[in-house]
Amino acid sequence: MRPALDRYRPPAPTAVLRGIPGRFTSRLHDERVASWLGIALGVSVLVSFGTGLVSHFMQQPAGWMLWPSRPVNLYRVTQGVHVIGGLATVPLLLAKLWTVYPRLWQWPPVRSLVHGAQRLLVFVLVGAALFQFVTGVLNVAYWYAFRFYFTTAHYWTAYILVGALVIHIADQWAKARRTVMTRPQDGVGRRGFLLTVAGASGVVALTTVGEAVTPLAPLAVLAPRRPGTGPQDVPVNKSAAATGVTAQARDPRWRLTVTGRVAREVTLSLADLRALPQHTARLPISCVEGWSVEASWRGVRLRDVLRLAGVDDDAQVRVESLERQGLYRTSQVAPPHWHDPLTLLALGMNGAPLALDHGYPCRLIAPNRPGVMQTKWVQGLVVS
Amino acid sequence: MNAGTASKAAAYAAGLALIAVGLRGIVDQVPLAQWAEWFVGAAVLHDAVLVPAVLAAGALTGLVPAGRRIVRAALVIGACVTVVAIPVVLGYGRRADEPSRLPLPYGRNLGIVLGVIAAAAACALVVRAVTARRRAGGASGRGGATRAPRHSRKEARR
Repeated sequence: MRPALDRYRPPAPTAVLRGIPGRFTSRLHDERVASWLGIALGVSVLVSFGTGLVSHFMQQPAGWMLWPSRPVNLYRVTQGVHVIGGLATVPLLLAKLWTVYPRLWQWPPVRSLVHGAQRLLVFVLVGAALFQFVTGVLNVAYWYAFRFYFTTAHYWTAYILVGALVIHIADQWAKARRTVMTRPQDGVGRRGFLLTVAGASGVVALTTVGEAVTPLAPLAVLAPRRPGTGPQDVPVNKSAAATGVTAQARDPRWRLTVTGRVAREVTLSLADLRALPQHTARLPISCVEGWSVEASWRGVRLRDVLRLAGVDDDAQVRVESLERQGLYRTSQVAPPHWHDPLTLLALGMNGAPLALDHGYPCRLIAPNRPGVMQTKWVQGLVVS
Repeated sequence: MNAGTASKAAAYAAGLALIAVGLRGIVDQVPLAQWAEWFVGAAVLHDAVLVPAVLAAGALTGLVPAGRRIVRAALVIGACVTVVAIPVVLGYGRRADEPSRLPLPYGRNLGIVLGVIAAAAACALVVRAVTARRRAGGASGRGGATRAPRHSRKEARR
């Protein structure tokens, strides 16, 4: 007689793997849920791509690009949508991936060359989407756990994500169209699930949107920034101490110089600047990280200072900071921006002289422009 | 080639071109190994850790006797909010010289948000229990010996 143990045959590993898809019992792993989530996710990713490109090309315009200085809040809105909308999309992505998760375990894993290529493209789509969301969420929390430069990696990976998305849409279009256009007769409770996902997105948006929409600031309990918190009620991204400009910025010998392609070079002390006509502009400071706050800036119009130096109307201006290094120690100001009467060399904000961390003695503030290009601790204007 | 195949081919061409543009940028300007580590790592962690954990949580909530869908909804919303908030709660991005960066007590705030979600779920459970009891009571008051079958709201309106 053979012992019972001998007769027991463990199931073959392939049989176990083959059985996995059948073990997902929730009927929410179906095409209709995947389609609705996919449509919402696709729209959101494309909006994030578009708004991300706006930010990228405002900072690094191609030669032919000339950004307008109006509407004043264009950058504020596009970047707010990019970051807060991106955060609110996280539940959508997680829900969509959960819905299609059983397909990860399809057996055999690759049926043909074409099928293998399709699965590789799905991996590219999933990897790129997760990469964008993970690095984006970490970036707005200033947590640089990765050893690459966020902006560059996020920018190029966006093309990979959108490329894989375009292919995915082409592959799934017919199926998604069929399943969302027909009334289901199966009594699966999808609506509750989809509403739950929408609720999760809503809670994320509600607890962060106040970092850009000041009236909702008290609700921004999970936002990395809060309007009203910071010197003169405005947050600061880079302090004078961290930048190492404190002594120079406070030095009474500080001068603003206008050089380059000018009719006459100009050197102005802080007293000279204060003696020029002063103007007030209500403008937002809008950060690439999504937060923005409107403030009342007071100072000299950039165009008035440039006219003192006799600058041509089509001149490009490079604004230089006291900072010795860093990507944002200078910024370009194109004609539409320096012609704009709202573009100021600000000496004060919200009724007081500029705080040191906001760029004392003098900073640039212009409409429709990323915060990183609103150069602080300005010491020179170089015209070309 | 019909119109469907043609547009699909065009989409594939455009998509592959965009992927190539992105990959070239990564190869040229980003340390490739570190980038790939995060690209693949995020997908593997998601598929091998996060989703199995969610599936396990889903199986556990299967043991909840009543109001399972409300409990699951609260867990989904709470977990999503936590995932997004975890980097600010951990606060690695804090800097002493920039107090306006991550200025809030995020651990406490996340606790409050989760508490509100839990309270909303508890309210929904109570409302559900009360309406269920009322319905059951009404049915027995009319002399029914057994509990009336629960109708969905849509059926009740008809």
